[in-house]
Amino acid sequence: MGNLATPASKLAPDVHLSSMDYCRESSAVQKKILIVDDSPSQVKLMQGLLEPEGYWPVGLSDPKRVEETIVSSRPSVILLDVVMPERNGFQICRDLKGNADFNTIPVILVTSKDTPSDRYWGEQQGADGYVTKPFTRDELLRAVRRFA
Amino acid sequence: MRNANVLILTDESEFARLLTACWQAERQAPGITVLGSESWKQHEALPHDLVVVGPLREGKLSGVLRSVEPAAAVILCVPADSQELVQLRARYPRLVHVPLREDWAQTLLLVAGESLRRTEAVRTARQAERHAARNEQHATLGRYMIDMKHSVNNALTSMLGNAELLLLEPGQLSSKSLAQIKTIHSMALRINEIMQRFSSLASEMREAENASQAETEEASTSTITRR
Repeated sequence: MGNLATPASKLAPDVHLSSMDYCRESSAVQKKILIVDDSPSQVKLMQGLLEPEGYWPVGLSDPKRVEETIVSSRPSVILLDVVMPERNGFQICRDLKGNADFNTIPVILVTSKDTPSDRYWGEQQGADGYVTKPFTRDELLRAVRRFA
Repeated sequence: MRNANVLILTDESEFARLLTACWQAERQAPGITVLGSESWKQHEALPHDLVVVGPLREGKLSGVLRSVEPAAAVILCVPADSQELVQLRARYPRLVHVPLREDWAQTLLLVAGESLRRTEAVRTARQAERHAARNEQHATLGRYMIDMKHSVNNALTSMLGNAELLLLEPGQLSSKSLAQIKTIHSMALRINEIMQRFSSLASEMREAENASQAETEEASTSTITRR
């Protein structure tokens, strides 16, 4: 993992760097959190909630590019939406947990799917945490702090 | 049968008296109205589930039958030849002929009982159809709300989260703005509670529907086994 964030110019337009990415060097205490959600406003919101707590949130709106973004940003935790076009969060989680390169990274599903069967299905895909939308700031931070 | 209405059309008072007496001796008797061929025209609109046509004055039968609705259940209890009956059955598919033999009253009560039970069954089935149509409308509305839940929850996430972000730095806001944001935040939480109640109601209804379906399947299985 490099000391500096990937330069913004080298990233695809749907990778949303937080304001801190442009000006800071990473430190040992700043954990990177990859936020995958097809809604840019949700990504921005979670970035806004995590940043003041000292996390380094990296947003991604294209669910097809999760693996390459993990390689480039090496996150400590992944916050993953479920209902997304082309590739849903359950599929992504299953793929990550089945890949030896990524399966140690904790995945927290952040979704509006709130039935017990949805949670069960998320667990079956190997998810490490589950946060239902709408969430409060405390709920999100509690889930993230379990792993980072 | 208690709520059923029977109309007896006859000009022979003895026929009407005997039939009414027999019916009243039964465990369950329908509401009975007796009319003659003359008074019938003034009361054609009377609600009835079954029309029993007894002996009428000569030449009155065809006129009386013409004024009875073709869909009505009719028991004809007058002498009629087979040719005449064929013609009548073509016009009244639910017409039954009970010949005026020695045991005509018992036969008529038996046939009338079955006819009224059929009418009641048809009425119940129609009511069930109406309920099913209404439930289908409600189900469509419910399905729409479930489909929309995802979008509502996403919108609520933004409302709640952004309100919380603004509240993280209360010093940058005027007291009026702060109060307004707090209101937005608490209202978003309230909508969230309503949505959660709706979700649990939806799952309760799903469970009840599954239980009812299982019960229906069990009942139909046991009916088939009994057969």
